[in-house]
Amino acid sequence: MEEKDFKCLRCGTISKFPYEKGVMMERQCLKCGSNSIRLVKEKKKEEKKKE
Amino acid sequence: MMDVGRHPNIKLLTCSQVESISGYVGNFHVRVHKKARYVVESECTACNDCVEVCPVIIPDEYQQGLSSRKAIYIPFPQAVPSAYLIDMNNCLGTNPIACGKCAEKCDKKCIDYDMKDEIIEFDVGTVIVATGMDVFDPTPLDEYGYGTYENVITSMEFERLLSAGGPSDGHFIRPTDRRKPKTVGFIQCVGSRCEQRGQPYCSNICCMNTIKDTLLLKDHYPDIEAKVFYIDMRAFGKGFEDLFKRSKEAGVQYIRGIPGEIIEDSKTRNLKILVEDTTANKMEEHEFEMMVLSVGVTPRLDMPEVQKLLTLSKTPDGFFMEAHPKLKPVDAPTSGVFFAGCAEAPKDVKDSVTQASAAAARAETLLAAGKVKLEAITSELNADLCRFCTICAQACPYKAITVDPKKKTISYIEALCKGCGTCGAECRFSAIKMKHFTDEQIVSQIDTYLEEDSYDKVIIFACNWCSYAGADTCGGARLQYPPSSRLIRTMCSGRVDEKFVLHAFRKGAPMVVVSGCHYVDCHYIDANRWTQKRVEKLWDKLERLGIRPERLLLEWISAAEGRRFAQTMQDIEELRKKVTKEEIEHTIKILTEEEEKERQKQEKLKK
Repeated sequence: MEEKDFKCLRCGTISKFPYEKGVMMERQCLKCGSNSIRLVKEKKKEEKKKE
Repeated sequence: MMDVGRHPNIKLLTCSQVESISGYVGNFHVRVHKKARYVVESECTACNDCVEVCPVIIPDEYQQGLSSRKAIYIPFPQAVPSAYLIDMNNCLGTNPIACGKCAEKCDKKCIDYDMKDEIIEFDVGTVIVATGMDVFDPTPLDEYGYGTYENVITSMEFERLLSAGGPSDGHFIRPTDRRKPKTVGFIQCVGSRCEQRGQPYCSNICCMNTIKDTLLLKDHYPDIEAKVFYIDMRAFGKGFEDLFKRSKEAGVQYIRGIPGEIIEDSKTRNLKILVEDTTANKMEEHEFEMMVLSVGVTPRLDMPEVQKLLTLSKTPDGFFMEAHPKLKPVDAPTSGVFFAGCAEAPKDVKDSVTQASAAAARAETLLAAGKVKLEAITSELNADLCRFCTICAQACPYKAITVDPKKKTISYIEALCKGCGTCGAECRFSAIKMKHFTDEQIVSQIDTYLEEDSYDKVIIFACNWCSYAGADTCGGARLQYPPSSRLIRTMCSGRVDEKFVLHAFRKGAPMVVVSGCHYVDCHYIDANRWTQKRVEKLWDKLERLGIRPERLLLEWISAAEGRRFAQTMQDIEELRKKVTKEEIEHTIKILTEEEEKERQKQEKLKK
């Protein structure tokens, strides 16, 4: 399973988690333990790089 | 088994596979594929004449491959019915010209090569799942050399070797030279209690099985030296400690430490191990003529198929999840379905019989009552408003709703509904309403909580079974959490509609939290996956509208995690303090405009 960047909405930490499109899985922030883990979309990444 | 076979009220279907189960408690319709036996059961007297002439020789699965069987055989000595069957995958052919020796030999003409598979259909009121378990295969564990060194065997193979009906007629011999070994070593927890090399859980039965094996060995051969290598010996049941003591008194040596590797001496075929005795705190070297790997228990490979048939859920260890671990340990989450034996968790014979008796009693209670009392918390369908989008049917974990978008029909079986409310939260056309925890009730709660000083409040939607109970645990343990928290209970986090979250923001909530059970604990099979999907969509929507998605959080908190609940609330309180009044007012403005747009859109649609 490929790994993608996810952002914790509670503490802002970006970590890599396994990801497969359409497959739901429980993710937990490695730093604060929150489950509010949001996929960092590719567009945003590119924008960040440009910045 | 014989009693079951003879019982007038029990119909035993052997060589059969359940293809489908439809319906609900009291009204299950079962479709079974009964495979052809190719031997007329009622005529066969198990005289063995056919077996003697069969030319096919293949490994006997029942004897763990240590002896052979024929293509026509009885799977194991006590099999019911006591009649032969032909293994068509290995038979030389159904055409009597190709072989047909068994048919020629059978005086009673019981062999029927033309026998066909059958489909049997019947109705039942309840279902008991007793699908058993598999045994861990130690072949991938290279360090023990199972499959490479012939004198390394599993506890199952040991069992067969010592059995009077086994491949060596009960004579314990080592496979390489077929003589009685002088020393035997047992290694515990093979495939158990290790996440990387097997299963993370304790298999429950292996310690007592090894103690019994050592006692049997000492009983048959007092001169054989036996040593057991273990992590912990778990002899916790009635009479088990006595058995453990007897084994030690019989001369069996128990060494606390698991060998890292088994090395075979190529000349003697003896097995050498190096182990750290953690009690004596020293490294020891031992040599054995045979090693027995005490293998653990694993869920059956075909469990996903059974899971699909009955819409069951599984615990993280892969076994079926009961409706409640303490109050309903034999009930499945689906009404009218019960568990017996290792389908639910690894257990020994006594526990399996206890659970099977309980399952039978639970099933009988339902059948004797003749009718079922349902929970009042179910959903209500208004077919007139339905647009047949099928989302409710997809979301329902119990398959209570079926929609045919082509025929534009929707059917709902209330007896199957458990009231999680996921369908109601997913329906965009208000065609599904809940009988309790209604939209109006939840919206009123939000309004009341945010009526005054909304900027200081955090709205938390908590599921009844885990998160709300977690808050209770937190309170019961006198753990402190911020007074800004305002909890709204729903039966499942799947009930938390998008509109509730947006309504809370529109009413001035600085933070909204949706919390539910951890994935594996979901009391409605997989309803909380829909919660996550919905929250992920909401994050995108909030961002699109210019609202920080960080203000909506998703947290899985179990009933036991009172401390986690308190910590989460404290962290969220810090985030709440960072939300400014200007930001909240901006959110209210955006969402009010959005609501107005939506209202106008709906009006247009109605026209």
